Amino acid sequence: MPALPAPLALYHFAAIVLLGMGIFGLTRRKTLVGMLISVELMLNGAALSIAASAGLTPASTVLGQSATLLVMGLAAAEATLVLAMIIVVYRRFGSTRTADLTTLQE
Amino acid sequence: MTDTIMEYLAYAAYGVYLLIIIGGSAVAVLEKNLVRAFIGLIATLFGVAGMYLLLQSPFLAFMQLLIYIGAVAVLIFFAIMLADSRSDGDEAGLVFGKKFIRAALAGLLPILLLTPPIFVHPASTELLPDVVTVAEIGKGLMGEYVLAFELISIILLVAMAGGVFLAMDRRKK
Repeated sequence: MPALPAPLALYHFAAIVLLGMGIFGLTRRKTLVGMLISVELMLNGAALSIAASAGLTPASTVLGQSATLLVMGLAAAEATLVLAMIIVVYRRFGSTRTADLTTLQE
Repeated sequence: MTDTIMEYLAYAAYGVYLLIIIGGSAVAVLEKNLVRAFIGLIATLFGVAGMYLLLQSPFLAFMQLLIYIGAVAVLIFFAIMLADSRSDGDEAGLVFGKKFIRAALAGLLPILLLTPPIFVHPASTELLPDVVTVAEIGKGLMGEYVLAFELISIILLVAMAGGVFLAMDRRKK
């Protein structure tokens, strides 16, 4: 039987993949909505990392799961605020492309 | 013997969920059509929910479905309405140019920096995750961690009030 990697390392690897994909999308996307999707990816990776760390080590699992729920709540609050900001930006600039959101070069 | 089989099955399930996460997030960041990118995000969220199930925390998986796929996804879909989401719309012209390479470097750097340490020096961990019941989480939130519980309610209230205030139409004075 080949040696299988430790479960915690595997869960952290999944979280790191989500982090990398999120940063990649955040730097590449041209619209605020695409960037919001990337931020959600990164937040999900963070929540998964916390839950796995608490569940597979002697640390308090209740604390880890509460912290994961806290991250989920933060993600919901963040999505609400970003939606409001996108609405304001769309009203003022008529677009959500980041290249259009400039007032200095008019 | 059955334990070994169960262990391999757990690793197989992990592989499936990881594939869903990688595929979904790739669609979420690469797709030109924003609605399709959004579907990729939802697939990723389902994959992470599966990981929570593997971690023996079905409550977290349920909350993932309820909060992320239920609420956050609807908010993002609302925001997509304000963008030109077609393939030749706002996100068009995402080609494999300089910006792509720079973004790929920025995304690959944390993966390359953080992956070797976790596999070369893995933390001494248990093979099976601890199981906590919903009642224990509830007691924790009402007892030891009540401050976090109250804080998140305040944050949600402030975010909601701020969102309404920002999006309110103030032109009709």
